[in-house]
Amino acid sequence: MLEVNRVRAGYGAINVLWDLSLTIREGEVTAIIGPNGAGKTTLLRAIMGLIPLSQGDIALHGDSLAGRQTWSIARHGISLIPEGRLVFRDMTVEDNLTMGAFPNSRRAGVAHNLARVYELFPRLAERRRQLAGALSGGEAQMVAIGRGLMAEPSVLLVDEPSLGLAPVMVQEIFGILERLKAEGRTIVLVEQNTHLALSLADHVHLMQAGRLLLSEPAPRVDLQRLHDLYFAR
Amino acid sequence: MTELILQSLYSGLLVGGAYALIALGLALVFGTMKIINLAHGELVLLAAYVAYTAESQFGLNPLASIPFALVIVCASAVLVYLLVSRIRVNRELNSLILTFGLGIILTNAVLIVWSANIRSTSSAWLQDAVVLGPLFSMRSEVVFFVLSLALAGGLWWWLSRSWYGRAVRAVSSNRDAAKLMGIDPVRTELVSFVVAGVLASVAGVAIYSSSVIQPALGHALTIKAFIITVLAGIGSMPGVLLGAVLLGVTESLTVTLASSALQELAGMVLFLLVLFVMPNGLFGGARRRG
Ligand SMILES: Nc1ncnc2c1ncn2[C@@H]1O[C@H](COP(=O)(O)OP(=O)(O)OP(=O)(O)O)[C@@H](O)[C@H]1O
Ligand SMILES: [Mg+2]
Repeated sequence: MLEVNRVRAGYGAINVLWDLSLTIREGEVTAIIGPNGAGKTTLLRAIMGLIPLSQGDIALHGDSLAGRQTWSIARHGISLIPEGRLVFRDMTVEDNLTMGAFPNSRRAGVAHNLARVYELFPRLAERRRQLAGALSGGEAQMVAIGRGLMAEPSVLLVDEPSLGLAPVMVQEIFGILERLKAEGRTIVLVEQNTHLALSLADHVHLMQAGRLLLSEPAPRVDLQRLHDLYFAR
Repeated sequence: MTELILQSLYSGLLVGGAYALIALGLALVFGTMKIINLAHGELVLLAAYVAYTAESQFGLNPLASIPFALVIVCASAVLVYLLVSRIRVNRELNSLILTFGLGIILTNAVLIVWSANIRSTSSAWLQDAVVLGPLFSMRSEVVFFVLSLALAGGLWWWLSRSWYGRAVRAVSSNRDAAKLMGIDPVRTELVSFVVAGVLASVAGVAIYSSSVIQPALGHALTIKAFIITVLAGIGSMPGVLLGAVLLGVTESLTVTLASSALQELAGMVLFLLVLFVMPNGLFGGARRRG
């Protein structure tokens, strides 16, 4: 449903993605793994139109997203839960979540979706009036995920949700991702933790230096080979 | 003596209403665009002169001239926005130069159209005395203070409850994240300029109705708004209200106890003192990171 086709993108004169192609299938969890600096975040930013493509195309359900503005892509049904969460620090938890439903077509569902997010993250319900800037890392990650869900996206892109979290919190976040998977959502998960990623994924892509080294269904992945590739230079 | 001090506290409070509206507009635009609109005071001045023309040419009460001021000032605010948004590189610095220049152009346009004479309202109704126990003021001061409070309340409601108001805060807080929510930051910036124009219009008519105006006033008002915004700790609405009253009170105490020649200086001294003691401003707290 989401096609990345020979994409080249980067930051100004520095190119990061080199003719990268991959396909995200509906209803699957697609894991993208790879070492630091492989370009995973850059790929997600390119999908969201936060950085321009210098070559290639990205299409959702056959509609090209190239050259479209980020807010228009978001309204089109793709939610990015960004690396570093990027919560609105001086807004309350509830206002953060509500902003996820900003597109006109989503506003009617605010109350219903808020209730769903609070059911998913009871901890956020307790802190709904608190400023998001005062949350712990794990809670901020919950806000970021909840905010992304408020838009009822057809594709959810999640960038390193475990980053900087205590192991208990990582488990909790992955428990939620499992629930979302069980609901049949389409999820793209970028993750450094290979084991966690493999436990959840239907399909795995390994990235290095802006290229795909490996694309395989998760059950077929040979961990030893994956690790060899991961650390190869 | 106590009576005099009480009286100047009261006058300072009343003038703080208009100051707050001006500073809120400046802060709103700073939030969404991260630029300081140095022509903001001139927009206020424009509203004041629209009220003057409406009164002197058409016999309109300044209160009734507010709709005209709204149209003209908001259109000018949009014009300023269109120019500022054309800046592609180094927006923080270049916008200072651009808006400073626009301020000078506006001041001189006012000078050409309305001359350098000092103007004030001739409405007897607005100038009537309103006595509140030992305290005295003109009716216009009370009317516009109440109007300012109502407008600030409306702004608070808009920022915390409406979709676009919250979008303005989201863009101010984290621009990229706001885009990811489907918010168009360009439209949000424009909205913030227009709202700042609305606040400036009422403030300008308030100043014309309660005080005297002349073309150089715009520049002085920009400085006051800037002082208040920084005093408040950028991004804090209660801080702006408090800062505005504090500036108003400081100025009026200075005029009462020392000399009106020191009025503008007093604001600067207050500014430096507060920042010396509280570098993050009154309400800056530990925020302002990341
Ligand atoms: N804003 C930027 N400007 C210039 N170069 C950047 C920028 N952001 C990232 N890069 C570079 O692009 C390359 C890919 O970065 P990216 O953030 O996509 O990696 P990543 O795979 O997400 O890594 P990590 O796992 O550490 O998050 C890196 O070499 C990085 O230095
Ligand atoms: Mg990354």
